[in-house]
Amino acid sequence: MRGSGRARARIVAVPRLLGIALFLASSAAGGIVGHELAQLDRIVRARFEGTLFRVPSRVLSAPLILYPGLDYKLIDLRGTLERLGYREASGESLPLGRYRMSERELRIHRRAFEHPSRAEPARLVSLQLSGRSIDAIRDLQTKREIGALFLEPEAVGAYYGPDREQRELVRVAEIPKQMTDAVMAVEDQRFYSHIGLDFWRIGGAMAANLRAGSVVQGGSTLTQQLVKNFFLTPDRQLKRKLEEAAMALIVEARYEKDAILEAYLNEIYLGQRGATQVHGIGEAARFYFGKPVRDLSLSECALIAGLIQSPNRLSPHRSQQAATERRDLVLRLMLQQAKITQAEFAEAAAEPLRVATITPDLRDARFFLDALRRELPNYYSEVNLAAEGLRIYSTLDLRLQRAASRVVREELERLEKSTRALAPKDGQRLEACLVALRPQTGEVLALVGGRDYAASQFDRCTQARRPAGSLFKAFVYAAALEPANGAPTITLASWLDDSALLVPVWRGNWAPQNFDHQFHGVVPVRTAFEKSYNVASARLGQTIGIARVREMAQRLGVESPLPNVPSLALGSADVTPLELARAYATFASGGIRPRVRTFEDVIDPQGESLERQPIEFERVLDSGTAFLVTSLLQGVVERGTGAGIRAAGVRGPVAGKTGTSNEERDAWFAGFTPEMVVVLWVGFDEPRSLGQAAARIAVPIWAHFVKETTGDEVAGEFPVPGDVAALEIDPATGAIALDGCPERRAEYFLRGTEPVETCPQWRGAPTPPPLAPALPPREAPLAKPPRADDEPGLMERFRRWLEDE
Amino acid sequence: MIAKAPRSPRSAARAVACALLAIGSACMTAQPPSPVVAPAPRPALRIRDIALEGDARRRASTQLVVDALDSEMRGDARIAVARYEDALKIDANNPFAALAFARFEVFAGDADRGLAYLDRYEALAGARADSAAHVAGLRGAALARLGKRALALPYLEEASALAPTVWGDQRLDARELR
Repeated sequence: MRGSGRARARIVAVPRLLGIALFLASSAAGGIVGHELAQLDRIVRARFEGTLFRVPSRVLSAPLILYPGLDYKLIDLRGTLERLGYREASGESLPLGRYRMSERELRIHRRAFEHPSRAEPARLVSLQLSGRSIDAIRDLQTKREIGALFLEPEAVGAYYGPDREQRELVRVAEIPKQMTDAVMAVEDQRFYSHIGLDFWRIGGAMAANLRAGSVVQGGSTLTQQLVKNFFLTPDRQLKRKLEEAAMALIVEARYEKDAILEAYLNEIYLGQRGATQVHGIGEAARFYFGKPVRDLSLSECALIAGLIQSPNRLSPHRSQQAATERRDLVLRLMLQQAKITQAEFAEAAAEPLRVATITPDLRDARFFLDALRRELPNYYSEVNLAAEGLRIYSTLDLRLQRAASRVVREELERLEKSTRALAPKDGQRLEACLVALRPQTGEVLALVGGRDYAASQFDRCTQARRPAGSLFKAFVYAAALEPANGAPTITLASWLDDSALLVPVWRGNWAPQNFDHQFHGVVPVRTAFEKSYNVASARLGQTIGIARVREMAQRLGVESPLPNVPSLALGSADVTPLELARAYATFASGGIRPRVRTFEDVIDPQGESLERQPIEFERVLDSGTAFLVTSLLQGVVERGTGAGIRAAGVRGPVAGKTGTSNEERDAWFAGFTPEMVVVLWVGFDEPRSLGQAAARIAVPIWAHFVKETTGDEVAGEFPVPGDVAALEIDPATGAIALDGCPERRAEYFLRGTEPVETCPQWRGAPTPPPLAPALPPREAPLAKPPRADDEPGLMERFRRWLEDE
Repeated sequence: MIAKAPRSPRSAARAVACALLAIGSACMTAQPPSPVVAPAPRPALRIRDIALEGDARRRASTQLVVDALDSEMRGDARIAVARYEDALKIDANNPFAALAFARFEVFAGDADRGLAYLDRYEALAGARADSAAHVAGLRGAALARLGKRALALPYLEEASALAPTVWGDQRLDARELR
């Protein structure tokens, strides 16, 4: 009995133990699965509730302003429209983003665009054309003439992270329904009804794969694709597939369908632009069609949706036929699923495929992007700029930037081929930098820091300090022309001594030499400046004092350390081209020194302005002196070392100065028109002789750039300020030229510094004795000439007469 | 009794001259110390009146100045500044852009910058009779904002005398310049 009882008890205990074991095992499995699921849930939440996307900050150009009088051919208006994604219309209608051009008229249906201070609605406009210029601009909806039309800014580049992903985030509400319909039609038609996994689709895919004997069809939903892209590797292991399914279920359980769709449409990879990956439909719309996603047509939506399967193989840039066939497939699916009507299908399928030309990142604009980043406060680190999706509205004029890059590249190649001394040697190639500013606003319009950014990222415009050579003479003459203690040291009618000079310095004597190794005796101020005579300028520097030269350079905008040595007058100090551009901009804007600006606004993804760089300037030189220096600089271009500018065919108001450093290691030209300052430097990074002066090296490049960007005739003028008087003088004596004087030329003077003597040959009444001899040249400051209001008036003379009595 | 010596004709002339000088001096000293010589009122410059001056480029630029003034009148200073900048981008030598920008800076921005723009306006426009009130008034208002009341006053008085309806309140509104 006892034994049978034990046996029975054993029999009962086995299943119980099995049950317990099963329970424990299933509990453990459940625990492990639960733990795994909890882990996956944490991962999903961390991503979805943190920073979903790292969006590189994008830099945009200054908007192009069209206005009557503008030379539309010079600015390549048609090319600009094409780059902005505008397409020439063929039919009668002119839909948004299209243009139609004839000899007399250009019609544009301009898209709306956002801008912190220049936001514009969509506008249908007509530009009346005449020859090369725009005659008038009319808004065809309001039937009114408008003064100026803004085109949206172009993309200059972006600050990428290491992944080099570029995307433009779009909200689901901004996405046209036909875009989401197209994507769902081809990728996941039951998106809004499944739970993250579509068993019908999985079954269908399995059957297709079995029939084919290999994997030919996927059964993934949009949610699964999103999960895979966000969290997993693309391999097809079972574990990875299970994780994908589990995470898809978690995502579906936690988030709304629209939020999932939005994440998917911003994440999906849609092509390649050079080294940069195009992600999301917002970026794809820009890349393939040059327009925002809201403006895509049905045909364009279908094409983008079709690309998801294999963006590079189906890219319209690679195969128009493959892309069109895929687009038509998407359109057919949309028709079958009743997303579009037969008529819409027919119209979209008949639409020719017209994609935007690929505009690769402007590699040479990278110098500008780097300079801009250095201008931003420290908060905008590389990491933040690569992730926060900011829009930075820059000052860059892309037309000028493209021209600058091309001109620098072409001209350096020409110089290398034509001149043996300039050919590459020991791995060193000739380098250059070109920076263009708008003097009145300080905007950097173009900046080329070197001939090839890929080869060297060192920016020679903002980071390299080189001897400025004779560019510094403008500061010497400015200091001498500016009234100090009531009178200037020289006027433009003065003469300077260009005979041998010996200046004691701490290690002996300094004896400056002229470029031609000759002395020229007593020469007019203009000649000394125009021919860039070193000795006369060095002597002038000694006369006014190097401290004043230094102070003038600093006041005008030079920030580099300037040594207090006699050779400073000849530009022995090392300065950056950008500093010189600012200093010359101060002359160009009448003595007002601008703050150099590379951007106007930094906008966050919500449209809030984070940073603004307004126009800032300061008067640092009286307008009269600035004008006199400008006049001297004009003489350089007309008759002096910058005459190559005229020889190159540039007409109109141009002022500038050549600069060649010791042993011809650096060649400069700093010059300006009334609306643009351009500083150009040419040399080697490891300084060696160029074998030629700046007039032969820098001037032709400068002229090429200016001619290409402003046309043959430079617009505008250098206005004569009110405190400057123009007089006819006798060039031989600097005295006023009246009847009988053998020679005469117009000269400018600050009011109150005009000569009072007349030329000796004047046949009129006797002249009062000269205040100071016009010859020999003066090295000491002039005695203050009497001002009109210092001379005794009628009442005073009357009073003196009475007293005499 | 002391007989007066007969006056020579020269002495008589001298006496007459002395009298004239005395009257002249009295007249001169009777004038107020201010440099303002009570100029006669004259119509003050309005941008819309000169909007058609110059070539097409100048007109396009001036139109943007009008747009900027409109933006200011709507209270949108940010857009106004952008429009002023655009006007300068189209035509850097447009004096009216400089004048309008000067007005903006004097009353809503940086008075020093306002003075610099005013200098630029004078260099570009020369001596325009119709803007004399604005030039004087803006200079005075800028100096006043910089705390130089004594220097400012004669300019403001001159502006007020030249254009009493505009500068009577020592201000130049966007509407008044437009």
